[in-house]
Amino acid sequence: MTVPPAEFVLPTRFGRAAFGGCYAPETLMTPLLELEAAFRAAQADPDFGVALARELREFAGRATPLTPAPQLARATGLQALYLKREDLAHTGAHKINNALGQALLARRMGKTEIIAETGAGQHGVATAAACARLGLVCTVYMGATDMARQAPNVARMKLLGANVIPVTAGQGTLRAAVNEAMRAWAARCDRAHYILGSALGPHPFPTIVRSFQRVIGDEARRQVLAAHGTLPEAIVACAGGGSNALGLLVPFAEDNLRRMAVEAGGHGRELGEHAARLDGGRTGVLHGCKTLLLQDSHGYTAGTASISAGLDYPALGPELAALAVDGRVEVWRASDEEAFAAAQQLCALEGILPALESSHALAALPRLAREGVRVVLLGLSGRGDKDIASYERALKSGGAA
Amino acid sequence: MKPVLPFIMAGSPSLERLPALLAEAAALDLEAIEVGLPHSDPIADGPVLQAAAQRAIARGVTPVQVLECLARCPSSPSVILFSYFNPLLQLGTGRLIALLRPTPVRSLLIVDLPHGEEAEFERELRAAGYPLVPLLAPTTSLDRAMRLLQERPDPGPSVPFAQRFAYVVARLGVTGAAGAPDLGLVRDRLAALRKITGRPLTVGFGLADAVSLESVRAMGAVPVVGSAVVAALYEGKSLRAALHAE
Ligand SMILES: Cc1ncc(COP(=O)(O)O)c(C=O)c1O
Repeated sequence: MTVPPAEFVLPTRFGRAAFGGCYAPETLMTPLLELEAAFRAAQADPDFGVALARELREFAGRATPLTPAPQLARATGLQALYLKREDLAHTGAHKINNALGQALLARRMGKTEIIAETGAGQHGVATAAACARLGLVCTVYMGATDMARQAPNVARMKLLGANVIPVTAGQGTLRAAVNEAMRAWAARCDRAHYILGSALGPHPFPTIVRSFQRVIGDEARRQVLAAHGTLPEAIVACAGGGSNALGLLVPFAEDNLRRMAVEAGGHGRELGEHAARLDGGRTGVLHGCKTLLLQDSHGYTAGTASISAGLDYPALGPELAALAVDGRVEVWRASDEEAFAAAQQLCALEGILPALESSHALAALPRLAREGVRVVLLGLSGRGDKDIASYERALKSGGAA
Repeated sequence: MKPVLPFIMAGSPSLERLPALLAEAAALDLEAIEVGLPHSDPIADGPVLQAAAQRAIARGVTPVQVLECLARCPSSPSVILFSYFNPLLQLGTGRLIALLRPTPVRSLLIVDLPHGEEAEFERELRAAGYPLVPLLAPTTSLDRAMRLLQERPDPGPSVPFAQRFAYVVARLGVTGAAGAPDLGLVRDRLAALRKITGRPLTVGFGLADAVSLESVRAMGAVPVVGSAVVAALYEGKSLRAALHAE
């Protein structure tokens, strides 16, 4: 290994709020400095770009299609709606873009093991698949609550050869899984790379994840111009940590259109009943970055609630939070119930079963139409097979599960 | 008693017991003691300290309560306040410094605050007499260690130990890892660090048994005992017993 650089070179902070940073224990500082250096070297190396593009094409099935959704457009009051189909990427969500990018990076760094956390299980499945393909040992930390509600993905990870470790601490959700994955990385950082699954955590993770996800928006921009002739009036994606939202929105950052991210409104407005960080959060530090954080008055992280395991993280990724504070991205919330209703509508009208996460973006469509928006590009971040049990329960009870 | 730096978690076994524990530390003639503020997401801590923090939070212990309790312990040894950054950020430097004033806290060890991330916060605390303790991990190169030691400099022998020492992390991973760390590696590491600094060094992360403590002392460093002390106190033992002082 070459001598690690003494300082980060890439910007570590975002926006006027200066969110982001690297609030990491000293044990992880050198691994993070090495990671940034490896990432920069990979970015500058045409061979890396070629290898990643090839994996994305031959293994992940990119480019994903852009599907016009005329029935849903009509039903929600829009003139035209285009769905960017990340649900059709291999393993069923956008997560594979980042998992492949970071797994290739890890191999370049000479790492033999991969550690990952997962909420909905999509990042875990994508990482397990990438590791199987590249010959890396894979350990995934997953909250026990999430393992129960996303059981199909647990089975998939195991089939793909990953060691899935249940985390029972806290609410047994993504936040607890990240805690445990960071601890595991500190213990094995000499041989393991940590593939963080969303645009959060200490620098350089938010930047790396966003950069591997912007393929979504780069493709969508070409596709929507080809299909529609002009840019849409609004672009919308759901936001957990913010990786699919940033990936879709960033290539449209300088365009004159509305950029939207939709958070989990859960089942109420009180702290603990949702994961709506823009309204409910205050500036805080969690898992290595400063951002909008749901917390109590003592600085303890608050509990969250959402029907969607991928959106119930208490912090908004720092770059997305900074864009929101700077007024460059609008952040809305959708409730559990609205997400369910929107998913059923997409199934019935367009023959597509969305992930519960993506359904939160769909739930924003009627409101956008009411505000006069006519043409929308929507990031359909994943497919809904993993959520079958929740959907069935909702159908039986006639509303939220 | 022989040099040792115990770590206790405020609020475990209970906040009511904190003054008595600090009095016992003073009676044992300890120079300093680390007191942890409980946090909801202790990413650098192993199971014992996680559970202790969890119990404290579940019982309603808050950072302000801990600091107010410390203010009622004037005869305590120097306290090194151990914390994650977010609870301190929420207090703000003004309130934090005012709360620290009447306490025996002499320095802060903020696990997730590298030098430079919050330059103003760190500068204000230092100016008020609360320097941050430098941490040196197994992944910290000697070049980097040299820089970290300069960024958080040793004011020299005129100030208490709590404001001078650097904390050497004995192993990769989190606090309370099972089994003693590789003492051969620790010895080599200390020898290398001795060439770049003369300030007092403590060694922690996974030290528990009397033999390891003695070995670290023989290397000229002060052993830190955290998880083992917290677990023993939770079982109802005295601080003296937890530190193998009997
Ligand atoms: C299908 C899907 N969409 C969205 C998300 C939310 O993550 P992010 O905000 O990083 O895109 C997840 C996370 O698990 C997911 O599985």
